[in-house]
Amino acid sequence: MKYQVTHITRYEYQLPASLCHNLVYQVPVNHSFQEVEKVHYQIHPVPHFLATREDFFHNKFIYFSIEESHQKLTVEIKSEVKVAQPVWTNTVAKDTTPWENVASWLRSTSADSDIRQYYLESDHVTFIPGIREYALESFTPGRPIMEAMLHLNARIFNDFDFTPGFTDVTTKLEDVFLHRKGVCQDFAHFSLACLRAIGLAARYVSGYIETLPPPGKPKLFGSDASHAWIALYIPTVGWTEFDATNNLLVNDRHIRTAIGRDFADVVPLKGVVYSGAGQRMYVNVDVRRVE
Amino acid sequence: MIETYLRRSGSTAKPFFDELAAPEGVVREHWKKLAHAYEELGLDKMELRSREISQELRDNGVTYNVYSDPDGINRPWKLDPVPMVFSQLEWESIERGLAQRAELLNLILTDIYGERRLIKEGFIPFDLIFTHKGFLRQADKLIMPGKFQLIQYSADLVRGPNGKMWVLHDRTDAPSGAGYTLENRAAMTRVFPDLIRENQVRKISSYYQTLKNTLTKLSIQNKENPRVVLLSPGTANETYFEHAYLASSLGFTLVFGQDLTVSDGYVWLKTLKGLEKVDVIVRRVDDIFCDPLEFLGDSHLGVVGLMEAVRQKKVTVINPLGARILENPGLMAFLPRLCRHLLNQELILPSVATWWCGHEKEKKYVLDNLPFLIIRSIYRSNENLPYIGSEMSKKQIEELRKEIITRPYLYVAQEVVSFSTTPSLIDNSLQACNAIFRSYIVADTEKEAYNVMPGGLSRSFPTKGEFIISNQTGGISKDTWVLGPSPEDQPKRAVNQPILRQVKNILPSRTGESLFWLGRYLDRAVSNVRMMRIVLKIYNERDDEIHPETNETLVILLKSLSTLTSTLPGFTAPDQAKLRQPEKELLSLAVETGRAGTLAQSLQSFLTNGYAVRDRLSLDTWRILDSISEEFEAMKQNGNDLRKIYHNLDQFIIKLMAFIGLNNDNMTRASSWRLLNIGRFLESALNTCNILQAALGNNVKPDVEKQLMELVLMCNESLVTYRYLYRSTLQLPGVLNLLLVNEDNPKSVAFLIAKIDEHLAHLPDNYDGGGLSPAHKKLLEALTMIRLCDINKMVPANLTDDFSKKELNRFLHHLIEVLGQAASIIFESYFSPTQSQYSFVKSNNALPEL
Repeated sequence: MKYQVTHITRYEYQLPASLCHNLVYQVPVNHSFQEVEKVHYQIHPVPHFLATREDFFHNKFIYFSIEESHQKLTVEIKSEVKVAQPVWTNTVAKDTTPWENVASWLRSTSADSDIRQYYLESDHVTFIPGIREYALESFTPGRPIMEAMLHLNARIFNDFDFTPGFTDVTTKLEDVFLHRKGVCQDFAHFSLACLRAIGLAARYVSGYIETLPPPGKPKLFGSDASHAWIALYIPTVGWTEFDATNNLLVNDRHIRTAIGRDFADVVPLKGVVYSGAGQRMYVNVDVRRVE
Repeated sequence: MIETYLRRSGSTAKPFFDELAAPEGVVREHWKKLAHAYEELGLDKMELRSREISQELRDNGVTYNVYSDPDGINRPWKLDPVPMVFSQLEWESIERGLAQRAELLNLILTDIYGERRLIKEGFIPFDLIFTHKGFLRQADKLIMPGKFQLIQYSADLVRGPNGKMWVLHDRTDAPSGAGYTLENRAAMTRVFPDLIRENQVRKISSYYQTLKNTLTKLSIQNKENPRVVLLSPGTANETYFEHAYLASSLGFTLVFGQDLTVSDGYVWLKTLKGLEKVDVIVRRVDDIFCDPLEFLGDSHLGVVGLMEAVRQKKVTVINPLGARILENPGLMAFLPRLCRHLLNQELILPSVATWWCGHEKEKKYVLDNLPFLIIRSIYRSNENLPYIGSEMSKKQIEELRKEIITRPYLYVAQEVVSFSTTPSLIDNSLQACNAIFRSYIVADTEKEAYNVMPGGLSRSFPTKGEFIISNQTGGISKDTWVLGPSPEDQPKRAVNQPILRQVKNILPSRTGESLFWLGRYLDRAVSNVRMMRIVLKIYNERDDEIHPETNETLVILLKSLSTLTSTLPGFTAPDQAKLRQPEKELLSLAVETGRAGTLAQSLQSFLTNGYAVRDRLSLDTWRILDSISEEFEAMKQNGNDLRKIYHNLDQFIIKLMAFIGLNNDNMTRASSWRLLNIGRFLESALNTCNILQAALGNNVKPDVEKQLMELVLMCNESLVTYRYLYRSTLQLPGVLNLLLVNEDNPKSVAFLIAKIDEHLAHLPDNYDGGGLSPAHKKLLEALTMIRLCDINKMVPANLTDDFSKKELNRFLHHLIEVLGQAASIIFESYFSPTQSQYSFVKSNNALPEL
C-alpha cells in the first residue's frame, strides 16, 4: 500500500514572537514493513537554522529556529510512504510462547538492553495501583503472549471511552484508569503500563492511520489525525504492533513516524518561544492512498 | 584545654575515631604543633580569633542562601577556627585514591555515553543506568575531544571507626564549594598566619590555576582567545556568593541563562555592544534545567537550544550534560570490580558499604535489615531525602518495603557509619564534632592527569552520628590543612607565567541593566532620605497639633514628600486626614517594603540590584553595601518610632555617600561605571525638578516661601553654595538659577543632563541611523529648554500677591516629561526587557487527538 501523508501544524500567537526553537518528530521513518519514498517539508517563516538529527531511539527529528518576529508558524511535512503487510498478521496467536517465558527471558542478562529498556517505567508509563491486576486478567498463567495481548487490546477498547478533550499531556495515568476515558495516546500509555507492570517490553509508536470516509462520500482533506499505538516484543516475531483505540492488530494502514518509551520521547512538535503569548494550535493531517 | 578534650574523647564509646586524640589519650603526631599552639593561646583568645574570622568573612560578604527559609537569603558563612588536618603521609594515599577514582569515573562516563560495553559485558547492570534520571539520552554519543569527559569532580569523604577514609558521595554534575574553600583559606591566613607557616600548610592555589587553564583549553572553536562564562542559576541560588566570587577570581564572565542565546548553533552572550560568542560554559545550573527545549520545558534557568550547540561542537559545557549519572550511589557497589577491569588496579579509596536493590540477593539483604540501614534513592534531589531505618516507625518501614519491592532498581541501602570526631570551637570550649571532607579534583589537560587540591571544604556537625549533611541543614565549615612540603615538581612560582593579557571588557546587558537601576535607586534613596529627614525635623519641632491652615510649610513639605515618592494621593488627599495625623503615613513611607515608592522599597531595590552585580563591585564597596543592608534591617526594627528612624536616616546618608564616593574612586571608567552614573544622574535630575515643582510651585506667603526655599536648598545640598554665590537673602530666581540653570553647580539639572550626555557618548553606539541618536536628541532638547528659559520672566524677583506660578509649573512639567522620555529611550536602546518564555508542550491542546 502506498500513502501520501500531509501533516500541517499551525501555531498562532496573540502577540508577535521574537524567537523560537523547535524540535519536530513528524518525518516517517524506514521500518521493516515501511519504506519512505519522498519527504518534503516546508516551514514558514523560513527557519534561520535547520538540521536533521537522529535521537537515542534512532528516530529522525528536525531542529529549527526562527529568529525574526512572527505571529504565525506553519510546519508542513509531506511524505510518500510504502507500507507492507507486517509479518505478524500471519502469526498464529495461540502458537506463541507463554508470556511468562518472555518475561523471565527479559530478566535474564542475555537479553539486549535495547529491548530491556522498554520494560522500565517512563514519564507517562508508571506502575499505578491496580494496573498489574488489570493486566493479569488477560495475561492468565501460561497463556500464549499474543493471544493474551489481543485479549487485553479488546478489553481496553471495550472498557475505555474515546473522549477527545477529556485528557491533555498533564493528565495522570491514574485518572485515565479511574474515568476510563481518553484518546489514542492515553490508551497507548495504559497498554504500555499493563505490559511493563508484568515484566514485558513494550514501546510507544506514533504515526498515522488511514481513515475511510462515510460510504458514498468523498474523503475531505485534513480529516485525519496523528495517531499512537504500541509495539510488544515477542521473541521470534519481533516488535509486534497493537492498536487499542481501534481494537486492531496493526496492518498495512498504519504509518510510523517515531518510536519511544512514551509520548514524551516523540512529541510531534515541541518548541520554546519568546514573547508570543496566547498560542493556539491547529493541526491538519491527511492520509491518502495513492496506489 | 587540650587535656580536657583528650579526657572527654577518651571517655566516649570505643567505635569512634578522633582526629586529634589517639586511643592512648595522647595527641596524634601531626596535631602536636597545633595543639601546643592552641594551649598557648587559651580558650579566650581562641574565641577572639573566632570572632575575627567571622568579621573577616562578613567583611568579605561571604554568604549562602537557604531555600526553605524566607529569612534565609544571605546568611553569613560560618567557619570554625580549628581546621581539619591531614598528615603528609596520609594525604599521599588520599590524593592517589582521589585521582584514581576520577580516572575511573571518567572512563565509566565515556563508556556510558559511548559504546556502553560495560553494560553489554555485564560490569554495570543496564537498569542501574537506564532508570537514573541523570542518564540523559539527549547527550548520547556526544563525546568531547581528548581524554577527559569528567572535568570537575568532588568526593565527600568521611573517616570510619577503623581510621580509614571512605567515600560517602561522588559529585559530578556541578560540584559546589571551591569558592568557599578559597575564602576559608583567605580568612584563616589572615587570622592565623603563624600557624599556617609553622605547620607547613600546603597552598591550594595550584588547583584554581589548573581549573582556569583547563577550562580555557577546552574551547573547540576558538583556541586563541576563548570566552569562558560561568552560568549561575541566579542571585537566589544557595551558593550564588561563590558563583560571583569564582567568576571574578578566575576572570570569567558571570552570566544567567537569560544572558545567553543560541543562534546558528553558537551560543552568544548579550552584551551592551551586541552579541559576543561564548566558547566554554562552566555551569552551576543542574543538568535538566540547562535547556528547556530538550529537558524541562518550564525551566527559566537555562538556554534554549544549548543541547543543539553542544551537538554541533560549537560550545563546550563543563561538566558535560549527562555527567550526573556518576552521582548514582548504586555505582559504588560496582566500582571495585570496574577498577580492576578498567585500570587493572585495586580501588584505593573504598566507598561506604552500598547495596543496590536491583539485584535479588542484595534486595533480600536490604529488606531483611531495613531498620539498620540508610536507604537512598539512586537519584538525589530535594524530594528524595534519605530514609534512616533506625528513625522510622513500623508503618513507614512497611511502606518503604513495598516501594522497594515495586521499584527495587531505584534504591540503594548504605551502612550506617559513625564518622570520626574532630575538635571544634563551640560555646567557648573544644567539642568533638563529626566531620565530613569535600575534595576538589580537576582534569589537567596539559599533564593528561587529574589535579587534586591539597585541601578542601570540611564541615562539622554538633550531633554525633548525624548522617545527612548539607549546608541546607546547618553545620559549620572548616578549612582543610594538608601538612608537609609541596611536592618537588611544583615550583614555588609557576615558570610559565601566562602573559598578562587584558581581557576585553564585556558587560552582559542584564548586568548593565542592573547597574543602571542600581544608580537610579541609589539616588532615589538619597533624595528620599534627605527629604524625609527634613520633614521629620520640622515635624518633630512642631507644636502638638497640626493645623493645615497654620502649619503651611509642613503641609507643603508633606505633600511634596508624597509627590517625590510617587505615593499619591497620600498627604495630598482632599480629606486631609493624613495631614492631621501624619505619623502613620510617615512610618509607612519609611519602612513599608511592600509599597511602591517608599524609602524601604527604594533601599530594597538598591540592595537587590547591588547583589546582582556583586562581581563588578570592589570589596570595600561590597562592605558598604552590607552595612547599608544592616542599617536597613535596623530601621525595619524601629518600625514604630519616628525619632529612632530619624537616626537611621542620618546613618543612611553617610553610608550612601560613602558608596557613591568609593565607586567614583575605584571603579574603572568602563561602561559599567557610566551606566551606574547615567542611572544616578537621570534620577537626580528628575527628583530635583519634582521637588522644585512640589515645594516651590505654590503661591504662598513670602515668609513660608523663604522657609521652603531654604529647605529645598538643604535637600539638594546647595544651601552653602547659594549663600556663597549670592550673598543675599533667598530669592526664587536665584534658587531656580542655581538648581536648574547654573552649569557650574554639579547639583543643577543642566549640569546633570550634560553629564548624562557625556557618559552616553562613551557607551558603545548601537545607533546607525546617522546624525544624533534619539537619546542624544532628547537630552539635547532638555538641556536646550533649560539654557533658553528665562527665569526672570517665569518668576520676577518681587512677586506680587496675584502673581501666578503657572509659567514655572508649565516649564517644570514639560521638563519632567522630556527627561522621562529620555530615560525610556536610553533604557530601550541598551537593554531588552526580559521576554517571557513559553513552551509548546505545556499548552493543553498539544496532544494530537484520535
